[in-house]
Amino acid sequence: MRRTAGRFAVVIAMALALLPVFWLISTSFKPYDEWASAPPHWLPHHPTLQNYRIVFAPEAARSFATATAGTLDYKVSESAWRAFANSAIISTIATAISVAVGTLAAYGMLRFPKKHDSFALQLLSVRMFPPIAVVVPLVILFSALKLTDTHLGLILAYAAFTLPFSTWMIRSFIEEVPTELEGVARIYGMSQFGAFVHIVLPLIRGGLLATALFVFILNWSEFLLALTLTSGGIVTVTLQVANYVSASSGKLYGVQAAMGTISTIPVIVFGYLIQRHMVRGLTFGAVKR
Amino acid sequence: MARRRVARPNEQVESPVARRGPSLGFLLALPAHLLILVTVLVPSILVVWLSLTDWQPTQGIPWYAAPIIGLWNFSDLFNDQRFVGAVLRTIVIVVVSVLAELGLGLALALLFLDDWPWRKFAVAVIVLPMMIVPVDAANAFFMLFNERGPINQIIGLVVGHQYTFGWLADPDWALLPILLAEIWQWTPLMFLLLLTAFLSAPRNQWRAALSLGASPMRAFLRVLLPLTLPVILVAAIIRGIETFKIFDVIYILTRGGPGTATETISMFMYNGAFVYFRIGYIAAAALLVLVVVGTFCLALVRSLGRQA
Repeated sequence: MRRTAGRFAVVIAMALALLPVFWLISTSFKPYDEWASAPPHWLPHHPTLQNYRIVFAPEAARSFATATAGTLDYKVSESAWRAFANSAIISTIATAISVAVGTLAAYGMLRFPKKHDSFALQLLSVRMFPPIAVVVPLVILFSALKLTDTHLGLILAYAAFTLPFSTWMIRSFIEEVPTELEGVARIYGMSQFGAFVHIVLPLIRGGLLATALFVFILNWSEFLLALTLTSGGIVTVTLQVANYVSASSGKLYGVQAAMGTISTIPVIVFGYLIQRHMVRGLTFGAVKR
Repeated sequence: MARRRVARPNEQVESPVARRGPSLGFLLALPAHLLILVTVLVPSILVVWLSLTDWQPTQGIPWYAAPIIGLWNFSDLFNDQRFVGAVLRTIVIVVVSVLAELGLGLALALLFLDDWPWRKFAVAVIVLPMMIVPVDAANAFFMLFNERGPINQIIGLVVGHQYTFGWLADPDWALLPILLAEIWQWTPLMFLLLLTAFLSAPRNQWRAALSLGASPMRAFLRVLLPLTLPVILVAAIIRGIETFKIFDVIYILTRGGPGTATETISMFMYNGAFVYFRIGYIAAAALLVLVVVGTFCLALVRSLGRQA
């Protein structure tokens, strides 16, 4: 009896976890008149790929706009491929920088501890401040450095704002490598840096990959920095999702849902790949398995 | 390499591994320092200057030419109902969602202590929300809480007549979908954390308590909870800090509206800087937040460090 109740509660929780995702996917296949029909359709009565065509093919967007919305008055009239390309480039490079810089810093922090080292704390505080507090002056700095609306600008910002995660997460992996191994390498004449490259790095390969995927997820999902550090020239995936809003008919539910469904797929795939390490990442390596 | 000296008496002998050479340690941390310098420290210094001015880009003068008005921004902030309201609202959101996430995550984790055939599948489904891009999750909640959306349909089925209510357009209720979206997305993290903690806690004490006749409730409160309390605290603190920054969900769902009914600190600063262009004023707010959060974090790390 008690067990049945427990299982029932689990099923309810599963249903609640799935509902919004289900609604997103279901809406992405609905034609225009079913987006917000009364009563709502839980499953599309006339499933269509139109929303996906609007996302990827500008012609489809144009013909949709003239046929239903009257005018093409929403901001995004070009294919979402560019947003995907931008997000892929920016997230990948920023992740590489963040993980590389983070690995060096983590190793330095562990093997060369200073007495009053506040750097670890400084790094954490970067993640604790609401980013918008730093973004206001950052916008001014970036426009002075001509970094606004460039790939490089977003890459730098993304790398910096994920640095605390990568440093602390990799630190927790390096902590698991016994120092004796490096000791042996040093006795055989290897330099400290050599020991790091040839002994430690190969041992934490899995951890590095998990960290990279985790940081990639953060970068891919980032919205606030993309919103404030660009002005139309660079569009990322999350910006594209938010841009499917039309002045006359409000949010384009179906199109937004289609874009949302595709844009969240890589995150789901990577997320499940590193599910074991997700907790470690989100707690800055404080909680390990 | 330099020749190794023989250690004098009372001199600390350096181990070959934990050597304190300043150069390599410095070099290793240098790239990280540079990155943080450009993107966080320099802007933080800039924000101090800006906070003393009333610069607005629409004034047509560059920011460094704006006249210094002293601390007026700060005294304005304390008298600004909108700012004070945003601060209080943010605190409410943090407290409510962290408590809800903790409670729900705890209840769920306790259901997963034993083993059954589709347990792994159930865990995989329940952690799905935290794998969704926040902006997309917010869009899903926008559709769910639409006037003609499924939530109103379900309420209509329960009350027996058609029910239409614009959740996001009502100043008294617009915060609810935001809270639910936040709780929906991050309860899985709490659940996963607590489940991990419970499963890795030593089982013997728990079993001993049970076999000595303690009720499962008592065994949980007296044995399992104290063992896992540190992890629970860390999780609550980290979620609290992350929730404090809440932005994406609110931007998509309400942009702080209707009126200022859902404006949080982040939303207040975004609207002030990027909608009304009051850069100097918002810089003052940013500085205030930086100082308060910084002090809080420092105190937190100190007290945690003392316990550890």
